[in-house]
Amino acid sequence: MINVIHRMKDLPSTHLLGTGTPMCAGCGGLGGLHQIYDLLGTRTVFVNAAGCMTLLAAYPFTPFRGSWLYTAMASAPAGAQGVRDALDILLEQGRMPRDEDLTTVVITGDGSAYGMGLSATSAAIERGLDFIYFCYDNEGYGNTGQQSSSATPHAARTATSRSHAGRKKDLFAIWAAHQPAYAATVIAAEPLDLAKKIEKAKSLRGPRLILSLAPCPPGWDFDPADAITIGRLAVRSGIWPLKEYVDGRIVHTNRPHPRVPVEDYLKTQGRFRHLFEPRRDETLLAEIQARVDAYWASVDT
Amino acid sequence: MFRIRIHGRGGQGIKTAGRILGTAFFRAGYEVQDAPVYGAERRGAPMFACVRAGREPIRERGLITRPDLVVIADDTLVGIPAAKVLLGIGKHTVVLIQSALEEANWRTRLGISNPILVLPGRALNQEAGEPLAGATCAGAAARLVGTIPRETLAQALREEVSSLGAEILERNLEHALAAFDAVTANAGIVVQTAGTAASDYIPPEWINLPFDPAQLSAPDIYAAATSVEVRTGLWRTMRPVIDYARCNHCAWICSTFCPDSAIALRADGAPEIDFDHCKGCLICVAVCPPHAISALPERAVPATQPAREGS
Repeated sequence: MINVIHRMKDLPSTHLLGTGTPMCAGCGGLGGLHQIYDLLGTRTVFVNAAGCMTLLAAYPFTPFRGSWLYTAMASAPAGAQGVRDALDILLEQGRMPRDEDLTTVVITGDGSAYGMGLSATSAAIERGLDFIYFCYDNEGYGNTGQQSSSATPHAARTATSRSHAGRKKDLFAIWAAHQPAYAATVIAAEPLDLAKKIEKAKSLRGPRLILSLAPCPPGWDFDPADAITIGRLAVRSGIWPLKEYVDGRIVHTNRPHPRVPVEDYLKTQGRFRHLFEPRRDETLLAEIQARVDAYWASVDT
Repeated sequence: MFRIRIHGRGGQGIKTAGRILGTAFFRAGYEVQDAPVYGAERRGAPMFACVRAGREPIRERGLITRPDLVVIADDTLVGIPAAKVLLGIGKHTVVLIQSALEEANWRTRLGISNPILVLPGRALNQEAGEPLAGATCAGAAARLVGTIPRETLAQALREEVSSLGAEILERNLEHALAAFDAVTANAGIVVQTAGTAASDYIPPEWINLPFDPAQLSAPDIYAAATSVEVRTGLWRTMRPVIDYARCNHCAWICSTFCPDSAIALRADGAPEIDFDHCKGCLICVAVCPPHAISALPERAVPATQPAREGS
């Protein structure tokens, strides 16, 4: 069944995800997951790649109301394939009623999604695996102290870089290139946009990506209270475009206009402090802004 | 050998405290080990750092289970059994606690006859948003061992903290040196104890379990949302308080944005915060449109409010 979500008041007001998780105060990843779980409901099996959220369900405690499976970092889609196959066999043999079927959901951080787990993910999409792939992207290996990952943005300070030399890999484009059933970027700071995309993903079958930018207070170095403000700035500055891939087309679901300068977003976070102190790095700031501008110029044509 | 354990919460600068102290010992000519120990690398969660320092090579490894000095950077940890602040203390162990309460109060609460020193410091410095508790504790500990010169401490601190910028370094220096000076009367109170010998090791009482098939031995959780048994409300240093007179009953904003599902809606549509689990991130304070939620330091919560666990 598809709930129709038009406005904020249609959002769920009771929450399924249990309290008491070991995620950090103000965790942007948990912020996304808690909204998504309310919409996906209890008929779900989670397959968790190693990462921060590995600790979600440390025996004997779980915030979920159904099953959760933990896999190694590179193999969550393979775990999801096994779970889906088992469910399909039970259904086919009549050992499980159709209305008791479960949705298989991968939970992964960006370390696995953008890096180690990419090969297994690509293969799972290619096989047309019927699953939802939820990535909380906090742009680094947060669980071990925020080392750089393939999702770390250019110029960010991490535990392994004073100013990250690489560029953030475009995981959404990689998924879209596989022509999956669905792919979307979301953020906890935009709950209505997120909810509409989850409802759309629920209505489809096949590989479905939900890529959630996850502002990370310790990893990005900001006060936990600012997590939502920073998420909103990520969208309004255009550095985190909200979009979806469906029926072979990419549609932007939020075109920030006017876009706020990207430095308004950068200066909220200690990981970019070296761009402003002891003196402004005009070259790097202009370069980051130019890349965001170029992205939207390519989209707006 | 000196064995020092520093207890605090993730985000208070305890790992750095261990490094500052370790580097100060090293500069003073000691062999040193220092290592932080996290249950989970989480801001607000109890953690500790271990520092060993000796004039001879250190062959001991692992956690410090027989400390000569225990430093408690955050006095709210005392009420949390899992924080194990007093683990393995002997008669000689000095306990240094950063707290607004007095020594006599802690002597009663801890029920021990050990030397207890209270560092009033600026106990609320963490609430100002800066992890200065670590530098403060490192400064006091350096003085209590009695063999680290003031300037050596300052040099070590510069080495460990200067990458965070000149301003932060200055504030850390100021706190560390003030704490160093504040405990001068007790300089050298910490005594070294001899290295432990392998022959003294008492093995744990192992229980042999028969090897069961996976269906029996693999852990399963059959109940839903058992995580509610974990009282993450203990992490909180600041408490969000709703002014119901100003609340618009919008029925979704704080409750949706709370990442921990710790804000539920009552039957009348008003939000209610679950203080057993609220971690004190204060996102609700930041997002509430009519500013009906304010932040109150836990220490300032009136007695009429629901008590914080463990205190």
